[in-house]
Amino acid sequence: MAEDHSRKSPEGPAPIIELRQVNKYFGKLHVLNNINLKVAKGEVLVVIGPSGSGKSTMCRAINRLETIDSGEILIEGKLLPQEGKQLAQVRAELGMVFQSFNLFAHKTILDNVTMGPIEVLGMSRGDAEKRAMALLERVGVAEQASKVPAQLSGGQQQRVAIARSLAMNPKAMLFDEPTSALDPEMINEVLAVMVELAQGGMTMVVVTHEMSFARRVADRVVFMADGEILEKGSPEEFFDHPQTARAKTFLESIQGH
Amino acid sequence: MSVSEILATYGDLYVQALLTTWRMTLISFVLAMLIAVVVTVMRVSPIRPLRMLGDFYVQVFRNIAGIALLIIIVYALPYLGVTLPYDICVIATTVLLGSAFGSEHFMSGINTIGVGQIEAARSIGLTFTQMLRLIVIPQALRSAVLPMTNLFIAIMLTTAIGSQVPLSPMELTGLVSYINTRSVGGIATFFISALGYVGTALVVGLVGNRIDKKARILR
Repeated sequence: MAEDHSRKSPEGPAPIIELRQVNKYFGKLHVLNNINLKVAKGEVLVVIGPSGSGKSTMCRAINRLETIDSGEILIEGKLLPQEGKQLAQVRAELGMVFQSFNLFAHKTILDNVTMGPIEVLGMSRGDAEKRAMALLERVGVAEQASKVPAQLSGGQQQRVAIARSLAMNPKAMLFDEPTSALDPEMINEVLAVMVELAQGGMTMVVVTHEMSFARRVADRVVFMADGEILEKGSPEEFFDHPQTARAKTFLESIQGH
Repeated sequence: MSVSEILATYGDLYVQALLTTWRMTLISFVLAMLIAVVVTVMRVSPIRPLRMLGDFYVQVFRNIAGIALLIIIVYALPYLGVTLPYDICVIATTVLLGSAFGSEHFMSGINTIGVGQIEAARSIGLTFTQMLRLIVIPQALRSAVLPMTNLFIAIMLTTAIGSQVPLSPMELTGLVSYINTRSVGGIATFFISALGYVGTALVVGLVGNRIDKKARILR
């Protein structure tokens, strides 16, 4: 994890993640429309927008869980590989946390976290378990280590999923609506872990509907609608002075929540 | 003849026949499982010709009657220069049929694995083969225990086609014809063989249930 707590500007030296004129279609639907985006080291970028705006698709395209039709995606200045071992290697360096946790159902919590380090990084089982226990401790589920995912609450499962990503020592982490499948009382326990990560200097791309999280933690907010990025700016700029009518309507529509 | 008279005369042959049925069943089941895993891996591989070959294999051997396949192996293969011992012919038949059905069971096991887990596996950087080995195959195996128990029993019953070729020693069904051509055993000879099948199936069913309880994946 990076030591410095300062936020570098998005125009800084080599962005960890860069999207250049990315386009994607689902049939006729233009889900990603000329997306240009840079994420600098240590930056927390929060992506918000109405459902169907393409924000999840964009997030998933960054580690090629979605393919793109045109444009370029670069990780640390290097073009994202199309497939094979090179792609697996890049994925190993990008953490990903999903809406539905996606823990390996047949493995214990501990094994979920140690699998990547052992199989991908070639770590010894002993070292991997030590590291996994420390991470599980950090996200507050160490006492569940020997259980299987189905025995944990959603909030606990999501924290394990975060630990599983962290175990790979990622350069950046992608969060695809990490709290959307959670009961309200469990959202905060997951957000707390994410806040701690952000404060520790982790580079993060977070697709979320949690506006308070965005306001508090984001270095930059990106607003998407209909596959386009309509606004980019600091949380204050965006929430207090949205520029586009689309963003104003969106912010009004969620005001009640 | 009564059951006890038949047993007094042919008891040893029944024991041999039961052991033969067991032996053929066990060998067939193990081979069918191994081939089923290979064929299933082909069917989910990213290489299209392999997928097509795997699907073709299943379609061919799932849709052919056991006895027809046995006749082909026993009478047609020699024309191609392949003459196999009769017991191998029977085992080959049950393995080909069983592996096709076994692959279908694995496929349905694979379908229970959410696409999310596959995406998570890719996200931590697992390669395709690691994903198969660590996530897909273990879960498919563990959720296929009950159907595989059924397949074991089905394979056992299919070994009865061994009665159509001269096996030595005979299996349970072949023995029935053997006895009935020599004595007037009637229905009782069938009854004793049937006990062998049913008894085995009951035990296999119990063991299968027990394994399933242990292996089942909580969801």
